[in-house]
Amino acid sequence: MATNTQSEFPAAAAAFAPAEGEPQKTIAGRSPWYLAWRRLRRNYVALSFLALFILIVACCLCAPLYSRYVADTGPNDGNLSGTITENGKKIPVVSTGHVNANGTFKVGGIPVGPQLFAAGGKYFLGADTQGRDIAVRLLYGGLTSLLIGIGSAVICTLVALILSLLAAYYGGSMDWVISRFYDIIWAFPVLLLAIALGTALALNGLHAGPINIEAGSLWIPTLIISYVLIPYIGRPLRGQLLSLREKEFVEAGVAQGASPVRIMFVEMLPNVASTVLVFFTLIIANNILTEAALSFLGAGVQPPHASWGNLIADGEKLIVSDPWFALAPGIALVLTVLSLNVFGDGLRDALDPRSTVKLEH
Amino acid sequence: MSRRSALRTAVLLVLAAALAVTVAACGSSKSKSSGTTSTTSAGGQKSFANFRVTWDAPDYLDPGLSYTVAGWQIMWNVYEGLLGYKHAAGAEGATLIPYLAEKLPTITNGGKTYKFKLRPNLKYSSGKAVKASDFACTIERDFKMDSPGVGFFGNIVGVGGSNGFATTKKGHIKGIVTDDSAGTITINFTQPESDYQNILATQFAAFVPCGTKASDQSTKGIGKDAATGPYMITAYTPSRSFTIVRNPHYNGQIPDIPAGNPDKLTGQIITDQTAAMETVLQGHSDYDFIPIPNDRLQNIQSQHSDQLKIYTSANTYYYFLNTRTPPFDKLQVRQAVNYAIDRNTALPKIFGGLARPAQNILPPTYPQYEKLSPYSYNLTKAKQLVSASGDKGTKVTVWADSTPPSSDLGQYLAGQLSKIGFNANVKTLSHQVYFTTIGNQSTKAQVGFTDWYQDYPSPIDWFDVLFNGNRITQTHNNNVGNSDFPEVNNLIEKLKKEPISPSVNKQWAHVDELLVQKYAAAAPYANRTSTDFFSPQMDLSCYINHVLYQFDFSTICMK
Repeated sequence: MATNTQSEFPAAAAAFAPAEGEPQKTIAGRSPWYLAWRRLRRNYVALSFLALFILIVACCLCAPLYSRYVADTGPNDGNLSGTITENGKKIPVVSTGHVNANGTFKVGGIPVGPQLFAAGGKYFLGADTQGRDIAVRLLYGGLTSLLIGIGSAVICTLVALILSLLAAYYGGSMDWVISRFYDIIWAFPVLLLAIALGTALALNGLHAGPINIEAGSLWIPTLIISYVLIPYIGRPLRGQLLSLREKEFVEAGVAQGASPVRIMFVEMLPNVASTVLVFFTLIIANNILTEAALSFLGAGVQPPHASWGNLIADGEKLIVSDPWFALAPGIALVLTVLSLNVFGDGLRDALDPRSTVKLEH
Repeated sequence: MSRRSALRTAVLLVLAAALAVTVAACGSSKSKSSGTTSTTSAGGQKSFANFRVTWDAPDYLDPGLSYTVAGWQIMWNVYEGLLGYKHAAGAEGATLIPYLAEKLPTITNGGKTYKFKLRPNLKYSSGKAVKASDFACTIERDFKMDSPGVGFFGNIVGVGGSNGFATTKKGHIKGIVTDDSAGTITINFTQPESDYQNILATQFAAFVPCGTKASDQSTKGIGKDAATGPYMITAYTPSRSFTIVRNPHYNGQIPDIPAGNPDKLTGQIITDQTAAMETVLQGHSDYDFIPIPNDRLQNIQSQHSDQLKIYTSANTYYYFLNTRTPPFDKLQVRQAVNYAIDRNTALPKIFGGLARPAQNILPPTYPQYEKLSPYSYNLTKAKQLVSASGDKGTKVTVWADSTPPSSDLGQYLAGQLSKIGFNANVKTLSHQVYFTTIGNQSTKAQVGFTDWYQDYPSPIDWFDVLFNGNRITQTHNNNVGNSDFPEVNNLIEKLKKEPISPSVNKQWAHVDELLVQKYAAAAPYANRTSTDFFSPQMDLSCYINHVLYQFDFSTICMK
């Protein structure tokens, strides 16, 4: 490189030549990915929130271990009749009540509150109205929410990417059809469309041709969320890809006789890879929130399976007497979404500091 | 004035205006009341302007279709039939009295012919005259709409059989003979039964004018045009609200029922227990129909005990077990369910302690009640029965409605079914459509939550309606478990014709035992105690809890 510089631009080479006695410095080329990583690793805030997200995922992945070795109960195991030993004293997990003959009554049905470590780790955050351990359900609920959030983000991104590549490369009627497809979904408020689909499919499942998904399966909310959010990645990607389609290197590829698949996936796709990566990170957060909203409204994850959304819905009924029931999944949701959003912003800054393309809502 | 200072002044003025509006709104909501204090009318009643209520979602407000407590509790002061009940608390409330009929029926022909004469000058709320032929039209409309109440009228001559009205839905029911000029109604039954007068007091027999469409008219003005009681329904938005006002054409045409104290009922429909309770606590409502949530009961009991009434009506909560769908077509599986539920310790907790464990179909208030306890809580035995049935691992869907305690009861059962070897999940539906959905044969609901509050104080209302195989219908089916055991069916049909006596009571108790112990047709678990919660403005000395219709809004008064 230095040699080339010297021969082509002798004056410049002379200006940048090391002084006498100074060692010759070799200027090594760096890939855009390396440069991005270097920018990212200097963004301590983004990395901190990435670490937080990884911690949350790790905790949720440890749900089976916690359930088995600490809480000694499963996420759906009711324990209405059970008792725990709190500081040496036996108390019912859910209190007993009765009606007296004179018409007065003793109220029952109140679940035990957060025990922290008083009951040997059991019912750390207390119990719900079925006597189930809230901490166990919180971890399993997180697992469910993350699975659905990440799974739907993968499906959504892949489908949006393929559709946008096809629309941008072929243009014409292909672009028209795909753009109208985006527009139709875009026309509906996301949550209303998701609720309508969720409610309809929650009862009978999805049975369409070869697709047979039973009601109650986690695939139902995953596919619904993927479907309703396709345009939110597809539209900005299509715009970027359309401008790439006009670039000379694409024209050169066409002229050389490269196949459309090669041009789309070898020439065009790498140029939007950073954008796709940023969108993917941000859409995970969006999808986790959407899943929580659907489950809260009863159109997402169905009981008795836990997700953060339906845990908040269950906790809402006890918000006055046992606020931790709703607060715990709420805080977990906030931290997860916040960490993904902050990291996603940091990733966008690192990959393309001049980027103006944003995830539209 | 400079441009900047003008802008600042404008902003300050807008903020001040907003603050003033906010203060005014806060002040007005705190001082908002349901109307002026009550005034005593000439008749000694304490009328007041507006009674604001928070209500559960009724299934319908059409007398031909509604079959929920939420619906009937509104409608029994709106739509009236030939007979009805005294507006009184306790056992006196079960006394049958003539409503639109001049007097109780003349019964002849060995108990198979009932003759009535209408009171003169009866009017609907539209001003239209009430005619004797309207009774025939009402019953025929029930059949045309596949009303959940059609089974009550199955013994009228001309209804049953392949050419009967129930099948053809054409022409008229031969067994109902009316004379509009004389105002007489003669009903001929195929056999005598002891509960016909009670049946004629149900909402399904409440008069509607001939020509009323045979479809749900809840939101199409039936409440405004067809009311014969002291009140009429002027507005109804499902899941949102309803408005009830005095019937301008009532004029005391049923002398033995109260004309009503509130001039108007403004109802908001809120199914969430906490939200419903808060409407009373915040002063936006005078009455909460929905039971107080468990976690707030203690607080309400200690701080608002003078606003709270608790009552136990004749009810039974049970899990239906669909004997037509696997795996509950097997006796062993049905028995396993009964062994798998903890009636004494676990299930009452879901009701906040406001429930009494039960294994009978009949509530303990009935003279036909003999306590049954064939099933102890025994998961091991339940698992053995499931294994022996060969249905271990079968996918089971537990149906529940979305409001507590049904949702919790559904989840509890799903958990227990999972423990004994089934692959159980829960399907929850909106309360408003729940019973019509599980009562539709095409749903093929396997197992789930249901409950029953008596329509009238007779064991026929329990066993015949809920467990007689001859009463199974395609839609609006009350025999949700499709219980169809010939021994039970025959005994019910026999006992229906018998007048009540100690020996007949014993036989009804035997029906209970057969259903619970021999056939495990269902899994009863509780008799529930409920709450009525009032605002401090209400005078609870006027409170009447009717044995059939619970809280009687027509008699409540204000301090």
